[in-house]
Amino acid sequence: MTERKDDPLLKSAQREALICGAVWILATAYSVGYSWLYGYRRPIESLTYVFGLPDWIFWGVVIPWLACTLFSAWFCLFYMSDEALCEETTPD
Amino acid sequence: MPLYLLAESEPSPGISVMLALLLFIAASVWLGTMAQKAMDQGKFLEGFFLGNRGLGAWALALTATVQSGGTFMGFPSLVYAYGWSVALWIAGYMVVPLTGFAVVGKRVAQLSRRTGAVTVPDLLRERFASPTIGLVASLLIMFFMSFTMVAQFKAGATIMQLAWPGQGVFALSEDATANIDMKFLIGLGVFGVTVVGYTMIGGFLAGVWTDLFQSVMMVLGVMLLLCLVVPKAGGMEQANKTVIAQLTEKSAAEGIGDDVYVATPAAYMFGPGYHVGGREFLPLGVAVSMFVIWVYSGLASPASLVRVMAASSTEVMRKSILLLSFYNCLIYIPLVMICICARAILGDIAKPDEIIPRIALYSTQELPLGSFITGLILAAPFGAIMASVSCFVLVIASGLVQDIYVRFLRPEASGRELRLVTNVAMVVIGAIGILANLKPINFLQALVVFSGSAGAATFFTPVIMACYWKRTSVAGMLAGMLGGFGVYFGLYVTGWVHNWALSVDPEQATAFSQQILSLLGPDLKMGLASAFRPYFLLNLDPIIWGLLASTIAGIGVTLCTRPPGQDLIDRMFNADQPTQTIHIG
Repeated sequence: MTERKDDPLLKSAQREALICGAVWILATAYSVGYSWLYGYRRPIESLTYVFGLPDWIFWGVVIPWLACTLFSAWFCLFYMSDEALCEETTPD
Repeated sequence: MPLYLLAESEPSPGISVMLALLLFIAASVWLGTMAQKAMDQGKFLEGFFLGNRGLGAWALALTATVQSGGTFMGFPSLVYAYGWSVALWIAGYMVVPLTGFAVVGKRVAQLSRRTGAVTVPDLLRERFASPTIGLVASLLIMFFMSFTMVAQFKAGATIMQLAWPGQGVFALSEDATANIDMKFLIGLGVFGVTVVGYTMIGGFLAGVWTDLFQSVMMVLGVMLLLCLVVPKAGGMEQANKTVIAQLTEKSAAEGIGDDVYVATPAAYMFGPGYHVGGREFLPLGVAVSMFVIWVYSGLASPASLVRVMAASSTEVMRKSILLLSFYNCLIYIPLVMICICARAILGDIAKPDEIIPRIALYSTQELPLGSFITGLILAAPFGAIMASVSCFVLVIASGLVQDIYVRFLRPEASGRELRLVTNVAMVVIGAIGILANLKPINFLQALVVFSGSAGAATFFTPVIMACYWKRTSVAGMLAGMLGGFGVYFGLYVTGWVHNWALSVDPEQATAFSQQILSLLGPDLKMGLASAFRPYFLLNLDPIIWGLLASTIAGIGVTLCTRPPGQDLIDRMFNADQPTQTIHIG
């Protein structure tokens, strides 16, 4: 039987997809979890502000959003690999 | 008593909104002709339907995953009405840049080149060498897209109708109940002819470029408004305090009952928010579901996939992730802040849909060219609608031409013939869009949400399986697609039956309606207060169940059926394959 070699793009794409899936689950768990614990069904008197935003929005939405943005920037600039998409035929 | 700070003496947008709309139309037609030049260099189908696979980073980032029309038009009014929980509702967009391009992006782009596929059904058919999969996918996509397209025609026509100088109303809202009068019909005609016309001239790129244009306008508008509105409200913290004071006063005066549309301060500032009749805006299950829905629609909807197929290289995809990440940061949270400040400044307004037009007009009135700037801000959603209609017309036309005409009727058709057939198809689609709106249906907006998420529930898992799982069989793919669609659709039907049973007067209840109620339980007090509402099984959105069903059916059936031939796997998964480009046209 001849040795079959997987496409290099397939491997890198698979790895990157798994990482993105993990980030998605983490972001959902943290953001919804934090908001549920600290931002749901509170009396109005308990409201405090961080930079003018309600505390739970700052810690539960803004901070993870910034974290995701920074991670995305690192991921696409330094982690994702470039691959030839195809042995492209030149347009005639 | 509602307080209309802007009441009768308010500046009217008048002619400037109409001018801005016309400017948008003119710019779009110009973009269409530019697009035609760009696509004329290659083969017709690939050029017309995929822009010769030459999308750059900006175009890809700002058009592939931003579901502009609905998101941008409805979103501000949600914030205005429900407060800060809407920030959590939209927060799924924090991961959309990553998931939209890095989960299946590279593979879809590669497979579509390897197989020469121009459309999503094309791609799936070639990937599995199965005409059945292609046909099923094609029919499902055309089914979903048609609803959305017809609804967007109505939205476009309504906006033109409302922008009529002297119309008085100035919420450019797609939900506004349109009076079917001459203005609506003229708007419908102008809108239909323009969109089909410029799509016909410029093909895929025309829609993409209009979309890009409006996305840039949108972010400029949001940044401008943010800088104007926050200082006017006395800073963000003060804005919150003002709103709390307003709501405390209002809820004390009017009380909180089933029919009263008043948020308590706590419901406005914290989750789960409020809804008419004691409904909760964002219970835990829905909050989780929203994180899935946004990611879903950016990753697996046919409109997004087609744009990823058109990306020119993986480098473009990487840059798109970066661009879209920053773009999303500049749009969503700032928009929430603007709307909260707007509520503090304007107080109660009768129609939440008008919040952005009103605050734009209010805050730009001291600027030179203020009302024209407002016009441009208001015209951006119109551009978004034009772009999405253009995309739908194109996807449906490509389905008819590529998946049906070329496959089944005339495989040997020449480029010229295909161009003619495409034009005819688009004119027919445009005519259907116009005719269907001569008597517009009110539920169409809910149908847009329905068909968008149904599309995602149908294709999400199957697309991932097609990209990464060698074992995936034809039967598994079909089970995945139909299983997801079936469960999703089933929960909607269950919801309709349930809503009907709930609406039956208890005194006139029949055995049948009582049986339904005892089976499905009382009103869950979640979701929209409309008869179109689906059934939230275990408090989760139907899309979660659709995804689950699709995954179980797809994997289960694949494991029970014979694996595909080694030859096919080699062609799709192994390195150093000779290109399988199919030359058409």
